[in-house]
Amino acid sequence: MAQDGNVKVTFVSQKIKKIRWIPEDYAEAQCFFTGSWDDEVNNIKVWILDYINDNEVKYPKDVSTFIVEGNVTEIQFTSKNVIAVSTSDGKVRLLQISEYERKTPLKEAFIWNNLHKIAGRACPCTSLATMEGDIATVGEDGNVNILNSRRGDITRTITEADSCSLHSVCFIKHNEVITGNLRGHMKIWDLRSSDNKPTNSFLFGGDQLATTCIINHPTQPYYILAGSESGAIAMWDLRVNTFPSTLKSHPSGVTEMKFHPENPNKLLTSSLSGELWEWNMEAVMKNTKTTENWIALQDKNTTPTNTLLESFKPLNSFDCNKGNILVAGENEAIHFIKNFKY
Amino acid sequence: MNISGFSSNGLMEKHLKRSDRAKTFVLPNKCFEKHIACAWRRGNNFTIYPRSQTVSKNQGNTSDNKILKVRQEILLFIPILRKLINDSNGVFLSLQKVAENTNSDNQVEFWKLSRQYRSIVRSIIENLQEAAEEESDALTKNSLNSYATIFYSIECIWHLCEILFIKNIPGDVVLPFLLEWVCCHFPSHDQTAAQLLEARERGSEDHPEYWNTVVSLIIQGRIDDARDLLRLHSDSESAEFKLVANSLRTMPVYNIYGGISSGEFTIVWKHWQAECRAILNSQSLSSLPYLQLIMRLLIGDYTAFESICSKYPSWFYLLGGYVLFTRPWSRRRELADAAAACAGLGAAHAHSHLNTVIRALLEGDLHQMIYEIQQMSDNGWFATHLTDMLYHCGKLQVLDEHQTDMTKRLRDSLVLEYGSLVMEHGALWCTGLSYLAACPPEGPRRAELLLERLPLDSEEKAMRIIAEAKKYDLLGVARGGGARWRGAGRVGAALAWAGRARGAGLCAGAAHAALRGYCAGAPLPAADMLLSAGPTLLMDDTLLLLGKYSDFHRLYNNKEFKKAAKLLISLITSKIAPEYFWETLLLDTLPLLESEEPVFSSTETYEILLCLELRAKLLTGEKADLLRLACARNLARTVLLDGVEE
Repeated sequence: MAQDGNVKVTFVSQKIKKIRWIPEDYAEAQCFFTGSWDDEVNNIKVWILDYINDNEVKYPKDVSTFIVEGNVTEIQFTSKNVIAVSTSDGKVRLLQISEYERKTPLKEAFIWNNLHKIAGRACPCTSLATMEGDIATVGEDGNVNILNSRRGDITRTITEADSCSLHSVCFIKHNEVITGNLRGHMKIWDLRSSDNKPTNSFLFGGDQLATTCIINHPTQPYYILAGSESGAIAMWDLRVNTFPSTLKSHPSGVTEMKFHPENPNKLLTSSLSGELWEWNMEAVMKNTKTTENWIALQDKNTTPTNTLLESFKPLNSFDCNKGNILVAGENEAIHFIKNFKY
Repeated sequence: MNISGFSSNGLMEKHLKRSDRAKTFVLPNKCFEKHIACAWRRGNNFTIYPRSQTVSKNQGNTSDNKILKVRQEILLFIPILRKLINDSNGVFLSLQKVAENTNSDNQVEFWKLSRQYRSIVRSIIENLQEAAEEESDALTKNSLNSYATIFYSIECIWHLCEILFIKNIPGDVVLPFLLEWVCCHFPSHDQTAAQLLEARERGSEDHPEYWNTVVSLIIQGRIDDARDLLRLHSDSESAEFKLVANSLRTMPVYNIYGGISSGEFTIVWKHWQAECRAILNSQSLSSLPYLQLIMRLLIGDYTAFESICSKYPSWFYLLGGYVLFTRPWSRRRELADAAAACAGLGAAHAHSHLNTVIRALLEGDLHQMIYEIQQMSDNGWFATHLTDMLYHCGKLQVLDEHQTDMTKRLRDSLVLEYGSLVMEHGALWCTGLSYLAACPPEGPRRAELLLERLPLDSEEKAMRIIAEAKKYDLLGVARGGGARWRGAGRVGAALAWAGRARGAGLCAGAAHAALRGYCAGAPLPAADMLLSAGPTLLMDDTLLLLGKYSDFHRLYNNKEFKKAAKLLISLITSKIAPEYFWETLLLDTLPLLESEEPVFSSTETYEILLCLELRAKLLTGEKADLLRLACARNLARTVLLDGVEE
C-alpha cells in the first residue's frame, strides 16, 4: 500500500465495522469509538490518540472495551456523550461515555431487546439513524422501529414495511424517514400517519441491488443521496418527482457516505473496493440544478472526485473531524489521515 | 525376486520416513475404548465420536460416550500475530500486482517489498517483546518470548535471503552487505565498544573485554572503530602498535565504482596481505600476542579464526570477517566454501536449525532452505511469503527427480495451504481468499468450496461474500443465501435472493411456497416486491404467474375490472399455473363473471369453460357447477354484445 506521510496505519486485530470520532467542543477530537464485526467476540472500543514510546506521532490506543453479542452494524450519536449501537442479534443499545474521563468503561444506558425478529427469533438490526433523540431502526425482518432515546420506549413500529430486508434508513424530517431495501426499493414513511403504507416509493435502479446507505444534504435536506451495493451513488431532489441523477460510481458497493461536518460541499464516500473518495459537491449540485437534475453525459466523468486512500480490502467505515479522518476496514487496520483540507 | 524385495524395502523406508513426520496425540482419559469414527468439519477441524458397528446389548456404558472436537492450534491467530497476517497480506497483494507487469524495474520493487516484509516482522518482534514484558503470567510470557525468537530467526534468514537473491547488488560483490547482515543480527561487544569510544580514555586496555572488543570490531569489518580503539591503548605510540595500525589503515577496500577492476584489486590486496605476512614473520610482534592475533586475522589465517571461535556463540559471527580477509571479492554464489570453512571452525555449536538453513542459503540450495523453514512453527507464514517472493524474483528453481520444473507447484501449494489455513478463522476469510485467488487455477476452485461453507449469520455477510466472490469471478458462490428465508416465511426476501442468484430453481421454490401459502388462506405476500421486480419475474414461469397474479389483485382492488379480467384470462390461457393453483385461478373468475357490467367477452368465457372441462378433476362438485352457471349467464349477456362491438 502506498502510504504518504499524512496517513498512519495501526493494525488492531479486529475487523472494524463502524468508526466514529467523539467530537469535542472547541478542540480537535482525540477519542473515537469502533465497533467490530464478523469475529468470534465483537466489541465496542474507545480509543485515544496518544504518543507511544516517545514517538512524535500519535497512535491510537484502546482504553475501554464493551463486549456485545453478534456483529455491530451501526453506531450513531443521539446526544453528545451517548451513542446508539445496533447489533446483528436484533438489539439496540444506548451507551454512555463519561464526558471528562474517557477511560472509564462505557455505561449501558438502555437496551431494547428483540427489536427485530422473524417468527419470534431475533434477526439482525441492519442500520439505524438518529435525529435529536429519536432513533429509527431497520432490520432484516422488514420492520421499521422509531425509538425515543430519552424515554427509552418504542414510539412507533411499522410492521412489514417491506417484504425484503431493509438495509438503510435516514431521517428526512422529524416525521419522515426514508428506507432502502435489499433490492434498491426506497420508501418514504410519514410517521404521523397510522397506516403502514409508504407515502412515496421509488427504485434505485433496475439492477435489483441493495441500497447500502442513505444520507441527506446537511443544509438542503430535500436532497437525498443513496449508495448502492453496485457502487453507484445517486441523488434525488425530493421536491420534484424525477429520476435520480447518478453520479460517478465506485467499482463495488458503497459502504458509507458522509458530508464533512464543517463543509457541506465536501462529500466523502468509501467502498467495498477499498477506496475513500472525496467529492466536491458544489460542482455536482450546481450541475444538477442547472440541467434539471440531469448531469450531461460529457460532464459525468469529470465529477470532481479525489482518492484519499486506497486499500486492497474493503473499507467499512470512516469519520471526519476537522482535518482528521479515521478510516477502518477489512484489513483490520485503522488509517488515520491528518491535515485533510476541507 | 531381488527386485521385488528391493522395492518393498524402499516402500518401507518411505513409510518410515512419513511416519516420522506424523505426530501422535493421545486422547484424554482413554475416552474411547472400542470403536470410534471421525468426521471432518470445516478447515483443519474434525470430530471424533464413538461408533459401534454392532448394536450394543447392554445399555449400561453409554455414560462415557463423548464427542471430541479436535482442532489445530493456530499460532498466527493470537491477536499480535493477526497483525502480521493482515499487514503482510497487503505486501503480498502488492507483490502480486508488481509481478503482473513485466517491467525492468521490478527487481527494485521486489527489494522494496522484501524490506517491507522485514519491517513488518521487526515490528511484530517488538510487539511480542513488549507484550512479554507486560505479561505477568510466566507461562504466557515464556511462550511470547519463544514466538519472538521464532520471528527473530525469520528476520535473520529473510535478510540474508534478500542479500543473496533479491537485492540488486552491483557487480555481485556481496561482502559489504554480508558484513551489514552480521553486524545487524550477530552484534558482539557493541556496547563495550560504544562505551570505550565514548569515554576516550587512554589506558582502556584495563577494561577486561578490551581485546575481545577490538577483535570483534575487526571481524565485523569495522576497521576504523578498531583503529580508534587501538589508539586508546596506553602503548599506542609504540612501534608495534603503529605497525598494526598502519596495516589496518592501508587495508584496500574493494568498491565497484572505485575505478579499478577486480583483477587489479586482487593484486593490490595480495600485495597488502604479503606485507602483513612479512610483518608477522619478522617476529617484531612476538611479545604482543593480541597484536599478533590481529595480524593473523588480517592475513586470513584459518588457525587464528579457530582460536577465537570459542568466544562466539556461533560461526555466523565470524562469517563476515572470514570472507573479508580471505576473499573480499567473493560473489554471491561463491560463499559456500566460506560457509563450510566457518562452520568447520566450531563443531560444537553447529547443529542448530538456523545453522542448517543458513548453510543451505549460502550454498544456494533454496530447495533445502524452503524444506527447513517449513519446519518452523509459524504455521507456514514464512515459507509461504519467502517462497512467493523468490518465485516472483525468478530466483527459485526446483526440480523433481525427473528434472521437471516444480517451482510453480511448490509456490502454489504453499500459498494455497497458507490461504486455506487463514480462511479457517471466522473473521479472516477475506484475507485467506486473496491468497487462494493468487494461484489459479486450483486456488479459485478451493475458494469456491470454502466460501460456500462459511457460516452465514446475516445478510450483510452473505452480501460481502458475494461481493468478494464477484471480485475474483467465482460465480458459483452467488447461490444460497435465500434458502433460509423461505423457511422463515419471508417470501419477499427469498425471492429477492433467488433473483440475485439468477437461480430459476430457487425462484420456482420460493414462488411455489408463496402460491401454496395463498391457497391455504394466507394473504398474498410481497406485493411491493412483485410489482416492482421487473425482469426478475421472467426467470421462472411460476414466479411470473405469481407476479402477474399479484398484479391482478392490484387491478381488481383498484376496481379496474376490465384490465383485471384480461390479465386473468391471459394467465388461464397461458397454462403456466401449477395444478394446485387452478382452482383458485378459476374461482377468481366468478366475481368478474357475476359483475353488473359484463367484463368477460364471450370468447373469454369459452376459454374459461374449456379450462374447466379440461381440468374437471381439479374443480368438482358445487364449485364447478357454480362456475358453469356463472359462465352460462355471462354468455347469455355477452354473445350478442360481442357482435355489436365488432
